[in-house]
Amino acid sequence: MKFRSLTNVGLFAVLASLAVPLLAEGDPVAGKSKTSMCAGCHGIPGFRAAYPETYRVPKLGGQNPGYIVAALKAYKAGERNHATMKAIAFSLTEQDMADLAAYYADAGNK
Amino acid sequence: MNKLLIAIIAGAGFAAADGAFAADAAAGKEKAQMCAACHGPDGNTPMTPEFPKLAGQPADYLEKALRDYKKGVRKNPMMMPMAQGLSKQDIKDLAAYYASLKGDLKVKY
Repeated sequence: MKFRSLTNVGLFAVLASLAVPLLAEGDPVAGKSKTSMCAGCHGIPGFRAAYPETYRVPKLGGQNPGYIVAALKAYKAGERNHATMKAIAFSLTEQDMADLAAYYADAGNK
Repeated sequence: MNKLLIAIIAGAGFAAADGAFAADAAAGKEKAQMCAACHGPDGNTPMTPEFPKLAGQPADYLEKALRDYKKGVRKNPMMMPMAQGLSKQDIKDLAAYYASLKGDLKVKY
């Protein structure tokens, strides 16, 4: 029993060490330098997307970083269909996405 | 007489249509129990990091998101079936409710 739980701990450690490098670690400072394509719409209070439908674009400041990455990946994979966002997401690497998510996760402007 | 009748009927029709599609945040709160399980009871504390905060997001964006899930043009295995069950009125009400909540979200440049 004791041996088994130790084995489990060992297994978990091995899995954890494998999993960590696979997830891109976001760097908010690097993220800030990559926002030029985002800020023209998401940085303007009340900004409305004009095509194909008119609605205010979502606020990004303070959003869950995991969701921002998931949203960008969904655009890149064609699971979300906004033309501008698809084009932008297509140009981003996973590291870019993680950096942008880390930057926007903090709601403050700095 | 006929003109008056037409005016009244048309007026009533417009009033009814207006009433049917006006967003009602209080009604939205009633309908939000399904949402709260994942997005958090305050719309600001999602269960996992992959789920978005909704509190304070613009109502028209939230409506668009739900419409797209319902139409299947925004593909997500959790949200597509959820949105299937929502009427146009439900979508308006839920969007108004979450837009009215205060949370972490803000415009960041």
